[in-house]
Amino acid sequence: MTHPDTRPAPAAPHTGAGLAVAVHDLTVAYRDKPVLWDVDLEVPPGLLLAVVGPNGAGKSTLLKAILGLVPAAAGQVLIHGEPLARARDRVGYVPQRGSVDWDFPTSALDVVTMGTYRRLGWVRRPGRREREAALSALERVGMAALADRQISQLSGGQQQRVFLARALVQDTDVTFMDEPFQGVDAVTERAIVDLLKDLRARGRTVVVVHHDLQTVPDYFDWVTLLNVRRIASGPVAEVFTEENLRLAYGGRVGFLERKADPTPAPGGRDDPATSHFGRIRP
Amino acid sequence: MTPTATRKPRRGGAAADLLLAVSLAALAVGATGCGDAGERRRDGPLSVVATTGMVADAAARIGAGRVRVVGLMGPGVDPHLYKASEGDVRRLQEADLVLYNGLHLEARMGEVLGHLGADRPTRDVASAVATDDLRAVPGFSGAHDPHIWFDVRLWRDAVVAVGEALAAVDPDGAAEYRRHLDAYRAELDSLDAWVRRRTATVPEPARVLATAHDAFGYFGRAYGFEIRALQGISTATEAGTRDVQDLAAFLADRRVPAVFVESSVPPRTVEALQAAVCARGHEVRIGGSLYSDALGDPDGPAATYVGMVRANVMTIVEALGGAKEAP
Amino acid sequence: MSWDAVAAFWSDYTLRTVAAGAAVIGATAGVLGVFAQLRRQSLLGDAVSHAALPGIALVFLLTGSKEPAALVAGAAATGWLGALCVTGIVRSSRVPADSALGLVLSVFFGAGLMLLTWIQRRPDASQAGLDRFLFGQAATLLTADVATMAALGGGAVLVLVLLWKEFKLLSFDPAYAALLGLPVRRLDILLTGLLVAAVVAGLQAVGVVLMSAMLVAPAAAARQWTDRLAPMAALAALFGAAAGVGGAVASSLTARTPTGPAIVLAATAIVLVSLVLAPRRGLLAGAWRRWRRRRDLRLHAVLLDLHALAGQHGDPTAAPHAAAVLRAMAAGGSVRRSLRELAGRGWAADAGGDLWTITADGRGEAERFLAARAVDGRPEASP
Repeated sequence: MTHPDTRPAPAAPHTGAGLAVAVHDLTVAYRDKPVLWDVDLEVPPGLLLAVVGPNGAGKSTLLKAILGLVPAAAGQVLIHGEPLARARDRVGYVPQRGSVDWDFPTSALDVVTMGTYRRLGWVRRPGRREREAALSALERVGMAALADRQISQLSGGQQQRVFLARALVQDTDVTFMDEPFQGVDAVTERAIVDLLKDLRARGRTVVVVHHDLQTVPDYFDWVTLLNVRRIASGPVAEVFTEENLRLAYGGRVGFLERKADPTPAPGGRDDPATSHFGRIRP
Repeated sequence: MTPTATRKPRRGGAAADLLLAVSLAALAVGATGCGDAGERRRDGPLSVVATTGMVADAAARIGAGRVRVVGLMGPGVDPHLYKASEGDVRRLQEADLVLYNGLHLEARMGEVLGHLGADRPTRDVASAVATDDLRAVPGFSGAHDPHIWFDVRLWRDAVVAVGEALAAVDPDGAAEYRRHLDAYRAELDSLDAWVRRRTATVPEPARVLATAHDAFGYFGRAYGFEIRALQGISTATEAGTRDVQDLAAFLADRRVPAVFVESSVPPRTVEALQAAVCARGHEVRIGGSLYSDALGDPDGPAATYVGMVRANVMTIVEALGGAKEAP
Repeated sequence: MSWDAVAAFWSDYTLRTVAAGAAVIGATAGVLGVFAQLRRQSLLGDAVSHAALPGIALVFLLTGSKEPAALVAGAAATGWLGALCVTGIVRSSRVPADSALGLVLSVFFGAGLMLLTWIQRRPDASQAGLDRFLFGQAATLLTADVATMAALGGGAVLVLVLLWKEFKLLSFDPAYAALLGLPVRRLDILLTGLLVAAVVAGLQAVGVVLMSAMLVAPAAAARQWTDRLAPMAALAALFGAAAGVGGAVASSLTARTPTGPAIVLAATAIVLVSLVLAPRRGLLAGAWRRWRRRRDLRLHAVLLDLHALAGQHGDPTAAPHAAAVLRAMAAGGSVRRSLRELAGRGWAADAGGDLWTITADGRGEAERFLAARAVDGRPEASP
């Protein structure tokens, strides 16, 4: 199965048509307690989006609801203009590490091969082609040497990279990641960031639930602030403001340090000098 | 639009209330039921509750019109495994007299019967049989084989207990009970003689009675048969592979014509034994079904003790090659 | 034991039939038990076998038949229903899984007992042995029974093998499976159904309590020896079959040894051996590894002490130090033994008179050891 290395340049943002992810009025309740309420989200293709918010804000639930993993009380989700059921080939998912039992008797390569199961269909077994695709995905995350290791013998960062490779092998247009940077070592963090940049260069869209506000401007193009309801969403430079953060974190913001000029320099999202914030305590 | 809860949070309240109400009602009903256990009605027939069908049959014969007998264990019921239900306990508690076999035949009712004995007239028929006449169980010192009804002479002794118990509870009818008892014992005498005549026709090498569990010990001892069984005295035991192999080898070597299924034990056990014997090259038949620990259907020939014994003996004798005499 | 004797032993019809039946049940339960265990549903087998009782009673009540095929069908129906109830309760309420299991187990079993009690009150001489059906008697298996078990068990394993990757994914990461478009709920029901088939196939031979053990023990033992799913399943099948045959043989060697419990004991023995002796996950292996690590650390502790002492002099290898000094510095353990071991490896030299020096090799090893510890492989905390 061959894939084009580059995609056509993405459409201009905010034009509605050609959105990678379009969420409208998404509502999820758990035992009468609202977890997500009336959430709208429009994600143009070809960029990296961070979803941030305090604990319990519904960030993970947003991903799971978009992917149909938890039932939504209301709302619609379109992936590249189609409902999820027709767009499964275009959607990838990197869950939190705690979502599986790592003592399961399987190897890293095995787990990554699971990403090929959809294109295999029923009953067919993964063959050499699938194994090779899995192996090259592992190479991309720097885990080729550990392919045959049983997964409980991997470090936290390595396990995270296995999940990443599994999503990579699917080679989807849109990938959702749930706190991929949580508790990983520096090597893994660099690997993930490189991967994200690579995906963006190929025109893919990545939506990431992110826990570390510090690095949002460094790693991401867009940000969505979420606290049961959507507070704000858009390019980091516009949306990642003190005001919005205060709204999102509901006054639980401890203090804000201003390190540099509060007015954003144009296009300088990777420039630490233009980064607004030092440490924010949620 | 502010989020409003669209449903009132569900408490466990309504369900808990219902549960409480039901429990109280059950308690009330239970309490009223225990009211009049101590009264005895002398107008009308005596209420007698018996455990096994054999004991019930004896009570019905000896008590005749003066008693109303209820048997707890119907046809095909295994007394070794029988558990008394709530209704059974109630019937036992309301009875004027409780009769049972004894010797732990009703193994799962021991506690119930023991408690009953404290304030109800109860009597086990095995008590009327001399201890010397009882078969000891190998390996269990002090315990005896409870299947005493298979030796008609022993049962003849046992039914005396029924007569005595009835007379004790109902002295007015003592004379009548005595008459019925004597008549029944005479009938049992002639039954015993008949059994001896019939079983004598079975040729010597075939005098082996192979069944699922060791119920026929007294029969074998009284009428000259070698008894072999897969399970022990109680059907609660489980046969092992070796037991099946040993018995199959024995039956094949002795070229025993038939093995027997029991009415109160699943036939599979004996069918497996038969297959094992056939695999050793000896075609053994299933000689028929024997009534081992219960009587037969109420509208059949084995509905009474006498009928049951006759049916068993005819089945055994015919299958093992004895004479086919008109009963 | 001569070949003739062995051949004669195995030519016995009863032993062959019982061993074959037990092996079939053991293998089937072993394979399906692997998936039950990985999905944390090991005790589901127990719930299913208890839930089978009312089905047996109902079939007899409604049809009057005691045909094993009919009773097995009834057992399967209520067993499956019980399993569905467990998953339904867990899914739609706050009741945790083990409580749901206990609930379903007792309610269904109680209902079955009630039905049996009601049946035994009926004046019907043919109802004997329904509860014996549930407790099983392996020694009296018929060839027809073994054929039924093989068909049921073989069918279940066949479906499992066909949908292997689907069930593997379902057991490992059901959320991801749902995302890929697998009908997770239906697959879950199917897998549970296979489990029910395995349980029910074995019920009439080995009974309620035993069946649960056959689902748990071989899988637990197999996990000790391998880190891959397919070998684990194959090994579990092997262990289950071995337990079955072993129990049949044991029951055939001594009289009055019921076959069912003998099979369980064999399976338990296999589990115990696996827990203790398995090369990587076993208790013995773990203890040995820990011992070796401790010894290694002690060794290096003494070496580093020598190294530190030597570092206070100009020519490190020339100045001997008393073992007593080293003993004073040591945290515990036998310094003398460590010193001898160090000498054996060429890292220290005995200078006579209970004095020891460090060698050039020893210095190199000490420095290598320190260097390795300075950059530790632990993940650094994110900034």
